[in-house]
Amino acid sequence: MNNPLYLIIRREYLERVKRKSFIITTIVMPIIMIAIMAAPALFLALGKTEKKTVTVIDYTSQIASRLQSNEEIEFVSSDAPADTLRADEDVEAILVIGNNAIDNPKTGITLMSRGTVPMMTNAYITGQLTNAIEEVRLDRYNIEGLKQIIEEAKPDVSLTTVRMDLDTDQETSSEFSYFLSLALDMILYMFILIYGQMVMTSIIEEKGNRVLEIVVSSVKPFYLMLGKITGIGLVAVTQILIWGVLLSVAGSLLLPMLTPDNLGADTASEFSGVLSQVTDPGFMLSLFAFVLIFFIGGFLFYSSIYAAIGSAVSNIQDASQLSSIATMPIIIAVIGSMAVINDPESSLAFWLSIVPFTSPMVMMARLPFGVALWETFLALGVLFASLIFMIWLCGKIYRIGIFMYGKKPTLMEIIKWARYK
Amino acid sequence: MDNILTARNISKSFVGHQALDDVTVEVPRGKVYGLLGPNGAGKTTLIRIINHITAPDSGTVEFNGHPLTATDVRNIGYLPEERGLYKKMKVGEQALFFARLKGLSSREAEKKVKEWFERLEISGWWDKKIEELSKGMAQKVQFVITVLHRPELLIFDEPFSGFDPINAEVLKREILRLRDEGSTVIFSTHNMASVEELCDNITLINQSRNILSGSVKEIRERFSDNSYRIEFSDDPDPALQASLRLGADFSLEPDNRMGLHQATLRLPESMTRRDAIAVLNESLDLRGFERVIPSINDIFVRAVNAGGAFPPAYNNPSTDTDNE
Repeated sequence: MNNPLYLIIRREYLERVKRKSFIITTIVMPIIMIAIMAAPALFLALGKTEKKTVTVIDYTSQIASRLQSNEEIEFVSSDAPADTLRADEDVEAILVIGNNAIDNPKTGITLMSRGTVPMMTNAYITGQLTNAIEEVRLDRYNIEGLKQIIEEAKPDVSLTTVRMDLDTDQETSSEFSYFLSLALDMILYMFILIYGQMVMTSIIEEKGNRVLEIVVSSVKPFYLMLGKITGIGLVAVTQILIWGVLLSVAGSLLLPMLTPDNLGADTASEFSGVLSQVTDPGFMLSLFAFVLIFFIGGFLFYSSIYAAIGSAVSNIQDASQLSSIATMPIIIAVIGSMAVINDPESSLAFWLSIVPFTSPMVMMARLPFGVALWETFLALGVLFASLIFMIWLCGKIYRIGIFMYGKKPTLMEIIKWARYK
Repeated sequence: MDNILTARNISKSFVGHQALDDVTVEVPRGKVYGLLGPNGAGKTTLIRIINHITAPDSGTVEFNGHPLTATDVRNIGYLPEERGLYKKMKVGEQALFFARLKGLSSREAEKKVKEWFERLEISGWWDKKIEELSKGMAQKVQFVITVLHRPELLIFDEPFSGFDPINAEVLKREILRLRDEGSTVIFSTHNMASVEELCDNITLINQSRNILSGSVKEIRERFSDNSYRIEFSDDPDPALQASLRLGADFSLEPDNRMGLHQATLRLPESMTRRDAIAVLNESLDLRGFERVIPSINDIFVRAVNAGGAFPPAYNNPSTDTDNE
């Protein structure tokens, strides 16, 4: 094949994919992401090792026996007076339960400790005391089997949400949609920013080392721009696909472990909604088809703006200010989609889906919740029409910009270039 | 004459700046054509128009007798003044990439690249990245990239800048060889020595206009003005008297290395060489008498500085100052 556009795309693509940095980021990034997600749990696990002993002085003589120790906190009863214990350096914490604690738990209990009490410890002790006092109080009623009656009376509510505007009623999980929206939005945001700026810097570089003039003596500048955007876009797609494969491999290994049994009853019913969504091939397929199309649309739209900016300036320093033309709407779109995630059917959501500057991001946020087909196609139509216009406009600017060296042009000058023959 | 390229009445302007004003250039086939002019005269813009990189505001470009189209650039090889290649790309890969952009099939491209690399003795660089090469080495690669698709028309913008004398000589040899094999060369430069050595025809562009066109020989002839350089051994005084008798302009020059006095004489139109020699012989011991044919450099400087004498349309005050 000798189509110049193909040759340009091929060069742009291979040059990046073959780089060590690409291979490393592609493999290391997911590991870092997982590490970031796992870090809090990991720290928690590491923090657990130290066991704390709480010496309990119980003047009611009813509560101490009911306090249950766990891996972090051990309750030890003591009859010694508080002052003696305080003098003992080995005693870490003293829990004093006053003799009216059962009737007046708000004031009757004191925890004395050396150093501050961690929140988790505080919460655990409070919880144990609440349970113990509740039990004591219930015993006072002297009704047989009261505890069991109360236990039985506690309802376990979990809301099953079903979309009734779709062709077939379908169980959904709004939490799942929420997190999916958030994830898609973040990924798109990251990719447009990273790869859009890659288009920009790569053009500045070409302009800087003057290879551009040789290329455009063989290929129309417009094709060079288009080829560059497409080539870099394909690099982005490749990265996403690799991550997708890694994720599904990891998922297929981990998912079987997440059976309803070991999730507990609450999570299980929530999980059934997720499962019904994830395992509905129609929903997932159309979701990801649309996600991909909006992704491509958003990338092309913004990277053509980045291309025009890159062509207009002579160095990266000059680009930073101009690039806010592209960065600002992206950030606004992300902020907008945060609002949209909370209310995907609002009129704000609708209008932000029509404006091409915000629609890719906002639609990412809305798609997992399900969007009426006509709205999706309207958004797509507007996005791709403005996309073609944007590429055309930026192509015109690019064609002139790449030969402009020296002083940083103003935005008005750049727009004027578009009118040159 | 058979012209490979004719650019007629080309005008092009950018914001507040006219780059080319009604420029016409005719490049005869199989010759080396010099495009001369001071910096900022519009040479590069004209070259870009010929390369179909930018479009003129008005005027036409004909290539091989038909209006220039995008596919014609496959028959053009262009070496820009500001050179550059993809720094991270390997030399061989890069050459193949550009060869294929010019329309060569991948097999043909490989064959040509290898051929040229051998000719310039750079085959060993195939797997090197451009950033590992010195500037001169990269220039050689760039030259190969310009010529390897055997274009009918080659455009070199300041080709010798950055080359050491030995490699410049190699380059000169290759350029002339390409011409002898039938390629036409357009040569943009302000290095006048190389023009006299290489060019058959020239065009002088100054302040966006074509102020002088023709064959090098004819132009030098046209600019020579009955001036002669004389050498003599006795005192300059008799020479001065003799020149007054001739009615000629006389200007004494520093003595030459042989210890002879030198002077330039500009004879009046009516006077022949023979008469002048006769008069001079009477007054002094004449050792040498030689016609002064202006170098292209002199012509260039004279033509550019004559800007003031041209119609005010392109009489730009900023460059109109006498800098002689």
